[in-house]
Amino acid sequence: MTFSDREILETIRMVELETLDIRTTTLGVSLFDCADPNVESACEKIYTKIVHHARNLVAVAESISSDYGVPIVNKRIAVTPIAWVAAASCVDDLTPFARALDAAAKEVGVDFIGGFTTYVDKGFTNSDRALLDSIPRALAETERVCASVALASTRSGINMDAIVRFAAAVKDAAERTRDTGGFACAKLVCFANPVPDNPFVAGAHISVGEPESVLNVGVSGPGVVRGALARLPAGSDLLAIAEEAKRTAFKITRMGELVGRECAARLGTTFGIVDISLAPTPAPGDSISDILELIGVDRTGAPGTTAALALLTDAVKKGGAMGSSCVGGLSGAFIPVSEDEGMIRAVKDGALSLAKLEAMTSVCSVGLDMIAVPGDTPASTIAGIIADEMAIGVMNHKTTAVRIIPVPGKVVGDTVEWGGLLGTAVVQDPGRFGCEVFAARGGRIPAPLQGYRN
Amino acid sequence: MTRRFLTAEDVARAAGTEIVVEPETLVTPQAEELAASRGMVIRTPSGPYTVPPPDRGPDADTAAAHRAFLPEPIDSVAVGQTAIVTAVGANKPGVLASITAKIAELGGNVEDVSQKVIGSYFHIILTVRVEGQPFEVLHDQLVCMGSPEELAISVMNERAFRFMHRV
Repeated sequence: MTFSDREILETIRMVELETLDIRTTTLGVSLFDCADPNVESACEKIYTKIVHHARNLVAVAESISSDYGVPIVNKRIAVTPIAWVAAASCVDDLTPFARALDAAAKEVGVDFIGGFTTYVDKGFTNSDRALLDSIPRALAETERVCASVALASTRSGINMDAIVRFAAAVKDAAERTRDTGGFACAKLVCFANPVPDNPFVAGAHISVGEPESVLNVGVSGPGVVRGALARLPAGSDLLAIAEEAKRTAFKITRMGELVGRECAARLGTTFGIVDISLAPTPAPGDSISDILELIGVDRTGAPGTTAALALLTDAVKKGGAMGSSCVGGLSGAFIPVSEDEGMIRAVKDGALSLAKLEAMTSVCSVGLDMIAVPGDTPASTIAGIIADEMAIGVMNHKTTAVRIIPVPGKVVGDTVEWGGLLGTAVVQDPGRFGCEVFAARGGRIPAPLQGYRN
Repeated sequence: MTRRFLTAEDVARAAGTEIVVEPETLVTPQAEELAASRGMVIRTPSGPYTVPPPDRGPDADTAAAHRAFLPEPIDSVAVGQTAIVTAVGANKPGVLASITAKIAELGGNVEDVSQKVIGSYFHIILTVRVEGQPFEVLHDQLVCMGSPEELAISVMNERAFRFMHRV
C-alpha cells in the first residue's frame, strides 16, 4: 500500500474527530469596470458581474468537498473596495451598493460578501467619506454584506479623524441593530496594514494589484493542532511543542493547497493564496484557547499566554509556508473572543481582560476580534481602543484589526448570543477612565521611522 | 476592449427595435426586462444573444497554462481515480464482504486491503480504483452503509492523503 495505516488513520482522525476543514473558499471579483456616473447602472453592473462570476462557486466547492472528503465550511465573495467603484457615481449615500452586493450574495448562495470597504489611512476622498458615513445604514439594512476600513498603516501613520468617525459608525450600527445585540457590528472591522487578499470575513476584499478574478482559500484546524499537542509525551518542552505545531500546520495547509488548486482550476480562474490562519469556531474542541491552555497556562489570559500564543502563531507560519505554493492573507492564529468557546470561558472566569487581549494581539495574526462592550461605552473610548490597536500594528509592521460591538442595553458581565459561527460573548469592561480629549484632538499620528524603509 | 455591460440606462437611450451588442457583453437583468417591455430584441452581430462565459481576466489564461508546471506530490494520480475507504465498527461476520460487494457493484476495483481486529472492534482500510460509477456515487453509497452505533465508513480521494503525507 502507498500509505501506512497510521498515515491514513491520522488523516481520518483529523477530519472526523478534530474538525479539520477548509474554513472558506473565497472568490475575489474585481469591480473596477462597474464604475458608472449613474448609481443605478453601477449597481446593476455590480450585481450582474458578481452573479456571473460566482454562480458556480457553491456547486464547485461542494463537488470538491465531496470528491476529497474534506468539508469546505464557507463559500464567500470578496470584491474591490466599494468606495473606489462608487467614486464615479458622486453620491453621498452608498447603501444602494450594499443592497446590490447583498442581492448578489443571496442569488449565488454565499453566506457573506466582503468589500463594503475603503482605505483612509492617510486621508479621505469624497467617496471614502460617503462610504464611512453609509456603513451603519448599509449594514443594518442588509444581511450578508461585510464592511471594513483601513484606518492606519506603517507607511502613512494613524488617521485619528478617521478613527473617530469609524467609532461613531460603530455606535450607530449597534444602535440600528439593537434587537439583535448590535449584530451589524459583527460585520464591521477596521484595520491597520490590511492585506489585499484576505479571504476571511469581515475584512475580505480584493485590493489594487489583484487579478480580475482570484480564488483564495482560508484553512482552519485548531482542533487538529490541539490533538497533536495532546499526544506528545508528558513533559515535552516548548521546542518540542513548537516543532509538533509546525508539522501539524504543514499538514493542514496541504489540504488548503489541494482545495485551492482544484477549486481555481474547476472555476477556470487564478489561484491566489492560502491563508494559513488557525480559525476557531464555537464548536467544542475547535478552540485556540484550548491550545494555549494545553501548552500550560491555567486559563487563557494568565501570565504566559502571550508567549504561548507567539509560539503558536510562529509555528503555524513556519509550517504553512512550506505547505503552500503561495501563502498570504493574515496567516497566523485568530483570537475572536465570542467565536471561541475557550476564550468565552476565560472571560467568564475573570482570566481574560481587554488589556491582556490587547497584549495578545501584538503576537497573533489579527487583533481585537469580536469583543463585546457595554452599549453606553462612549464613542471616544471606542476610538481610543481602536487607536491603541492601530498603534500596535503600525509600530510592529503587522496587520491589526478591531471588531468591537457596543451591545445596546447590556452591561459588563451580561451575555450576548449571536448564534452560528459568531457565537456568544460576555460583555467586557473597557474601564472607567476615558480619552475624550485625546480623541477630540483629531488629526493624524505620523508614520513611524520604520515606515521609511526605502 | 469591448463594451462590458448593457444596462437599463443604455436600453432607455437606444432607438429602434433591436440592440446589437458584442458577444462578450453582459446584459443586466434590468436591461433585459426593460428591452422586453419595450419589445426590443437584444442580439449580437452574428445571431441571438446568449450569456457569455465569465471573463476571468488576463491572469486566468496564464494560470491555466502554468498549472501543469506546479509540482504535485510524488506519483500523484489523476483526480477521481483512487479512493481510500476506511471502515471502523463492531466486529460482525460478513462486514468486509458486504463492503467489497458494494464496491464491486459500483464498478470499483479493490487494489489493497488492510484489516485489524482489536477486541470486538475492527478497522478496514481499502484502496479502491474508481471505475464505472463516478467518485461521488461511490462516496455517497458507501457512507450510507454505515450506522451510528455499529459502523463508520469514510471515503476520501487518495490525492488528499498524498498532499498531506508526501511532498
